[in-house]
Amino acid sequence: MVHRRIGGIAAVLLLLFASCGETAPPRAEPTEQPSPASAFPLTITDDDGVEVTIDTEPQRIVTFAPSMTEIVFELGLGDHLVGVSGPFDDYPAEAKDVEEVGGAGDFGVDPTIEKVVSLEPDLFLTIPGGDQWKQRLRDLDIPVVTLHADTLDDLLEDIETIGSLTGAVEDAELLATRMDTEADAIAESAEVVGPVSCFFEVYYPPLTTVGPNTFIFDLLERAGCDPVTEQAKSDYPEWSVDELVADGPEVYLVTPESARSVTAVAKRPGFAGIPAIEDERVVLVDGDLVTRAGPRVIDGLRQLAAALGTG
Amino acid sequence: MTRPGARRFRRTMVVLGVALVVTVLIAVAVGAVWIPPGATLRVLGWKLGLTGHPDGVDRAAEVILLQLRLPRVALAVLVGAALGVSGMLFQGLFRNPLADPAVIGVSSGAALGAIVVIVLGGASLAGGLIVTGAAFAGALVTTLLVYGIARVGPTIQVTTLLLAGIAVAATISALMSLVMSFSGEQIRSIYFWLLGGLGARGWSSVSVVVPFVVAGAGATLLLARDMNLVSLGEERAAQLGVEVASFKRRSIAAGALLAAAAVSVAGVIGFVGLMTPHLLRLLVGADHRRLLPAVLLGGPLFVVLADLAARTVLAPEELPLGAVTALVGAPFFLWLLRHERGRAAGVA
Repeated sequence: MVHRRIGGIAAVLLLLFASCGETAPPRAEPTEQPSPASAFPLTITDDDGVEVTIDTEPQRIVTFAPSMTEIVFELGLGDHLVGVSGPFDDYPAEAKDVEEVGGAGDFGVDPTIEKVVSLEPDLFLTIPGGDQWKQRLRDLDIPVVTLHADTLDDLLEDIETIGSLTGAVEDAELLATRMDTEADAIAESAEVVGPVSCFFEVYYPPLTTVGPNTFIFDLLERAGCDPVTEQAKSDYPEWSVDELVADGPEVYLVTPESARSVTAVAKRPGFAGIPAIEDERVVLVDGDLVTRAGPRVIDGLRQLAAALGTG
Repeated sequence: MTRPGARRFRRTMVVLGVALVVTVLIAVAVGAVWIPPGATLRVLGWKLGLTGHPDGVDRAAEVILLQLRLPRVALAVLVGAALGVSGMLFQGLFRNPLADPAVIGVSSGAALGAIVVIVLGGASLAGGLIVTGAAFAGALVTTLLVYGIARVGPTIQVTTLLLAGIAVAATISALMSLVMSFSGEQIRSIYFWLLGGLGARGWSSVSVVVPFVVAGAGATLLLARDMNLVSLGEERAAQLGVEVASFKRRSIAAGALLAAAAVSVAGVIGFVGLMTPHLLRLLVGADHRRLLPAVLLGGPLFVVLADLAARTVLAPEELPLGAVTALVGAPFFLWLLRHERGRAAGVA
């Protein structure tokens, strides 16, 4: 969800799109982009609503989110990556060799500003949160770009945005198009089977799930699931077991980070009456593939479809 | 009560002064990124106008030293001074060694002010200075509220003030828990205010706090003599010519201002205001005219050391400064209490 502004076309586009609000900006037409060589300086408004200017094609990138790391590597920019957030940046394997900048702040999830400065990055890619340290980095002339994806479509736009920001426009377009095509194919075959009611567990205890405005929810729907948490008001709501039993999901999806095994889920108090438990349709899914809004979400979609029996 | 002589006072001041300078230098030289001490000294020397621009020191190192570490250490010095002097004022005023800025609700009021702004989404306005302002306002409003409750006619009952402060602070804590339960993703920025810390702060915060610390310390200097007399008892002080009611008002105003300034940039940092004056009283005696300069060196020394520990012990992870001050401060304080009990009997 990014308004793009490139050269002269930009002002017009911005005027046109400014009134659309943040929720539904039309996608910028890729054909209107100048060739990568002339794209800089490039000014965009990121998903924090902050205007950022990238003067020249970035040579020293820091990614502060595993999803961003995966996208940067997928675009063939691994050589330009000088810093990642921390031990969670574990894919691809090369990411583990890149300097880690995270670990500061009260929860150990902020970047160590000193470390970032010492790497002299010309692009800092991250996700929402941490207004304070982001401002600090901007004050030190480090271009911070925040991108957030609620849906797969958002992600594809973000990938193209990262492509423009890094001078990898064509690679980004190819990647986005490929992902789009593959996601459509999965969704089409899922539609043939018809929607299956499901529940996605993020955390337990307390039982926590996903609301309709989250990236995972979008993936679930595309994979042919009809999540029982449709009416949830927040993004990661706590869900009472009573309600879960009343909802009666056909398939119960859970990550290994939240439950050790399928049998551990079945043994939880009150879970016995759920259809998914009775029919033994509790499935462990790889959390990284569905929670990280990166290139591997297509694998995540396939995995979900297989679990749901729609693939 | 021991009354250490002028020599002991001078010796203590020299030791504190040297320790502070050395600690500040170490705090600037040490951090998550290794910068050679030589480069650090050359950059500092250049900034102080002692030497020319250092060649061969890369720009990143210069930014780290001048834009990250120096303001952080400067802020630690100011926060330490503010909390220490504030604690001294409240201990003198209440004639109670357990008094500190938290007792009149300043700290929790400041935290509540900040948290409300964060939850309402104003955290990123004006580079975060809105939050600082809200914390400041919260601290002052709480103080006035507590003061208003405790005031009966022209006089304030010290005991009532203490009790009112505790009750108001408890109410505010409850309000904070309530606000936090609705806060969602902002919970992390909120925790900062409760745990305290000096990270993510630059020169702008330093320039915000400086005037308040200078004014507060200056006001305290003028109050020091009266504070000595009040420590003999309010009636006695009145007989000796102290305008006790006005003295109380001015002490509370100065103490609250100092604490508010500290909390508004560093969150709630416990134990500095309680421990520093108490500890130094054991060294330089209870004369507030000597205690004040000692606290102005000792408070900063404590906070700079604690912050140094907070960011190096588990580097690159940073510990919450408030936790470090309490964790380091409390056991040391207890040890000292036992150790010095005999000699210090009767102090405060």
